[in-house]
Amino acid sequence: MTTTLNEPGTANRTPPVRAPRRARHWGDHLFVVPAVVFVLATVLYPLVFNIDLSFRDVGVGEIVTGGAEWVGWENYADQLGRDEFWHALVISLLYTGLAVAVAFALGMALAVYFNQRFPGRNIMRSLLLLAWILPTVVSANVWRWMLDGSYGLINTLLEAVGLLDGDLFWLARPVPALFAVVFATAWSFTPFIMILLLAGLQGIPDTLYEAAKIDGAGAWRRFTSVTMPLLKPVNLTALLLCFISTFKTFDTVFLMTRGGPGEATMILPIYAYNEAFEFFRFDTGAVATTLMLVVPLGLSVFYFRSLRREEAA
Amino acid sequence: MGTTGGRSVAAWTARAAGVLAAAALLTACGSGSDDETSGDGDGGATTLSLWHYYGTPDTPTGAALQGLLDRYEEEHDGVTIEARHIPFGDFTRTLLQSAAGGDLPDIALINGFTTQALADAGVIQDLSDRVDEWGEADRYFETGWQTTQVDGATYAIPHVADAYAVYYNETMLAEAGLEPPTTWAEMQDHATQLSDGERYGLAFSGIEGDEGATALVIRLLAAGGDPAQLDSEAGVTALTQFSDMIAGGAVSNGVLTWNEEDVKNQFANGQAAMMINSATYLSVLAEENPELQWNVALLPTDAQASTFLSQENLAISTSTENADAAWDVIAWMQQPDVLAEYLPERNKLAARDDVDTGDDPVRAIFAEQLQQAWAPEGDLAAASSEVLTRIQGALQAAAGGGASPADAVAEAQGQIDEALANVE
Repeated sequence: MTTTLNEPGTANRTPPVRAPRRARHWGDHLFVVPAVVFVLATVLYPLVFNIDLSFRDVGVGEIVTGGAEWVGWENYADQLGRDEFWHALVISLLYTGLAVAVAFALGMALAVYFNQRFPGRNIMRSLLLLAWILPTVVSANVWRWMLDGSYGLINTLLEAVGLLDGDLFWLARPVPALFAVVFATAWSFTPFIMILLLAGLQGIPDTLYEAAKIDGAGAWRRFTSVTMPLLKPVNLTALLLCFISTFKTFDTVFLMTRGGPGEATMILPIYAYNEAFEFFRFDTGAVATTLMLVVPLGLSVFYFRSLRREEAA
Repeated sequence: MGTTGGRSVAAWTARAAGVLAAAALLTACGSGSDDETSGDGDGGATTLSLWHYYGTPDTPTGAALQGLLDRYEEEHDGVTIEARHIPFGDFTRTLLQSAAGGDLPDIALINGFTTQALADAGVIQDLSDRVDEWGEADRYFETGWQTTQVDGATYAIPHVADAYAVYYNETMLAEAGLEPPTTWAEMQDHATQLSDGERYGLAFSGIEGDEGATALVIRLLAAGGDPAQLDSEAGVTALTQFSDMIAGGAVSNGVLTWNEEDVKNQFANGQAAMMINSATYLSVLAEENPELQWNVALLPTDAQASTFLSQENLAISTSTENADAAWDVIAWMQQPDVLAEYLPERNKLAARDDVDTGDDPVRAIFAEQLQQAWAPEGDLAAASSEVLTRIQGALQAAAGGGASPADAVAEAQGQIDEALANVE
């Protein structure tokens, strides 16, 4: 009798009431298909293509016609033996570290400041976001003009307060050029950090500060003992996102200095660009970009581990 | 129950199919737009695509080219040329990427120095047979024509040529009682006299990358040197003089950050008494700064008279289905009477010797300078971008980085040798 109550192919172990739910689950997964296709086409395929390229001998002759010879680790060995690569890596880490430190310090200061209530706060916060919204091509060129030795605003201001006498071409000297690109990058990332940290600050209950006040804690003590520990996950996220974005920054530095003067601002993305698209060495360009993945990847692992520890605690 | 489940699956399948169809449509839209620009259309109409880096039609350089293409269309019924502007910095990269994707234009207007690289990459086709039949190859200036040659075959036709000369501010030189310099010692002397703390004597582009090597290459050639051999007496002489001029204030330290447009602006604003630049800025200077009294002189000469060639070539892509139509456009654009009208608009010089260039004395100076043009050949042509970048690096190291000229050229020579050795 029981068999007649079921459709062919449906066994007794599956209660009939669950069938539509199961179908709905299967159907729901279809919505992920465009996203999967998108990720496969725009992220995974180029990534795999780039890694494959880094193991082949690809000059200008092979990039179009194909047929590049597989050379194993040879390109990596060549690249790791080049002083220029290590120089670019060191400059990249220096540039990223300094830019993130400056952006974080400024972002934190602004977040703490704007976490207080005062008239005009919201308008000022929105205005500060302009630096983040502004297209890089605009901000980098504006910085380039402002730092010009002959007619730049920065030199005019420095001369007005008596700190400078004569022309100083910031982007023509190695050390000033590095500081200039660091500051321009930090300037554009600061509002992003500020917004992230401000959201974190607003999640800290006022009662904690009141309790700390009653215990006699001053402003600095409240910042170090209440704010900073509670902001730790937000801080980590902000630092990591900022580090990864800055480490792969290309446009700001390219537009301001093209990696110069000399090799002073030759960060890895520009080094890889020059190798591939200026000198037509696509293989070594691919090696450089593949190796570039290692630093943010390592940091991401560290980040997720520390997040897991936070959650477990 | 089963019926309900079946309807549900069918409904979801239909929805999923809809989503996939939409995705497929989006993909098709993304890749299909360029396909319309090539191939024979209906009724014998032909649409050709042409990629260039001159500028959009609302810029002076882009407008001149668009005017030329419009003229061709007017004279040739059924032919449409769709021009696409790609910025210079992205041009070669875009061509190579498009070639890898099998989506090239019919005609490409390329830089003379990248012709060999694009031929090696299989992006542009061998035109030797067409050129033999055409029979006008011997009309072209030797150095410019050499940029179209790869392993004895012709891969492009020179479109226009350009050369570098000295622009000078007549008022400033007259006030100082000076004539344009004829040797580099005079150039340094004049530049020093003409600088006064507010303005500099000489300006040129020394920006990071290959563009910033031009002036130093010009100075090196004048001393009888060879850019492939920077570590030589001529190389040290050239670099020492440039470093001295920068250190002494005759040339601004800012040249290390200036491209050629910036250099033109410095000259136009009276910040520089002389500049080394190409003919590109002739009409811009005349139109934008009518009150500025300026003129042009030949570059100073020491051991030899030389200038740096700047040239664009016309090439046909390997993937075109309209090679005959593309060749017809190229050959038409190279007719002397067409060039005679087009070149003054474009502020360029003829790459061939049978074009009436008019009687403008300034253009005559550039045309004379063009006769002494130098361009890289052979392995140096294939690695020219890297070699020139290294030469700029030597300028930077000596002028801004504190290295001695001898150390700077020795360091750059190692990199130049490596670049030349990498040429396959």
